[in-house]
Amino acid sequence: MKTMIFSLLILLFCISQAEAVHPDSIGHIQTLNGTATILRGDKSIPAVRALPVFRGDTIRTSKTGSLGIVLTDDTTFSLGPNSEIVMADYQFNPRDGKYSMITKMVKGTFSYISGLIGKLSPNSIKMDIPNATISVRGTKLLINIEAD
Amino acid sequence: MKRLIAILTGITLLLGLCSGCAPKHTQTVLLTPDPDGHVGKAVVTTAGGIQLLDTANAMTTISEPNAEPSTVTTASSEYLNKKFAQVLAVEPIPSEKFIIYFNNNTSEMTSESQSSFHKIIEAINKRKAIRIKISGHADSTGSDKLNIKLSCTRARFIRDLLVRQGITAEDIKVSSHGKGNQLIPTADNVSEPRNRRVEIIVR
Repeated sequence: MKTMIFSLLILLFCISQAEAVHPDSIGHIQTLNGTATILRGDKSIPAVRALPVFRGDTIRTSKTGSLGIVLTDDTTFSLGPNSEIVMADYQFNPRDGKYSMITKMVKGTFSYISGLIGKLSPNSIKMDIPNATISVRGTKLLINIEAD
Repeated sequence: MKRLIAILTGITLLLGLCSGCAPKHTQTVLLTPDPDGHVGKAVVTTAGGIQLLDTANAMTTISEPNAEPSTVTTASSEYLNKKFAQVLAVEPIPSEKFIIYFNNNTSEMTSESQSSFHKIIEAINKRKAIRIKISGHADSTGSDKLNIKLSCTRARFIRDLLVRQGITAEDIKVSSHGKGNQLIPTADNVSEPRNRRVEIIVR
């Protein structure tokens, strides 16, 4: 018991603050060119590198903007100019075996590179584009949705 | 009969609504090899049908709502570069993992690890990394208490070293595993140099 408490203390002592700041974030903006916006509820947040991304966020790039998102399972979504994606649902919880990744791509160009969810639970991944649904088996996809 | 007419009218109305509101914009789904060269699979499903993509640069197009996805074609590199140049240019570089080894029962790096340490800094700078995960490990000799402390000291040692080289402390997440998560699985009380390590994942 003593050992356990000691171990726990050491573990706590060893965990740094880096991710404790945004415990619920599902990922972050890793790369950014030009301007882009995250729509969260009724807020509109200018995108900057390292900005955390949350479940439910809509990410929209400007006509000259592009960005890359890395999710906590190492999945990446990149958006070209004039693109919009909704991170509708996301759950990455290997401890309980709970996974979900549902995105809706509204317009623009995208690159998707699968991460751990793609390996551990590919059936939990669903990508919607306006007229189709895409399911994947651990892969990389490029998607283009012509805008008006 | 009345009912049939009602149903038919309903369907016509629905179809009319759908073609009126749903976007008619062409949508393209293209399967490319993973960063490691492996080619996976994707299934594209519309109201009109299903298409499987399972070869490098296989592509299908949906031009009408409710239409079947087009037969699979192979995308040319010209098409790829024309349509996707900007999105490909912004793709995050895949994460990279490094392992630093330590001398027995110390947080002193082996001389090999010392001389390869600069590669970690290079990987961080190349990506302008903002997520760096450091996990400390010990081999299975000695008590659990000792190993937990040792693995933690090792991980913090590497963290401090990175910070001294100018890496932002807030970007680094440290964890320690004692003798857990062995690289080379061993029984208890086995001195295994490859388990005396710190793993660093740069994202």
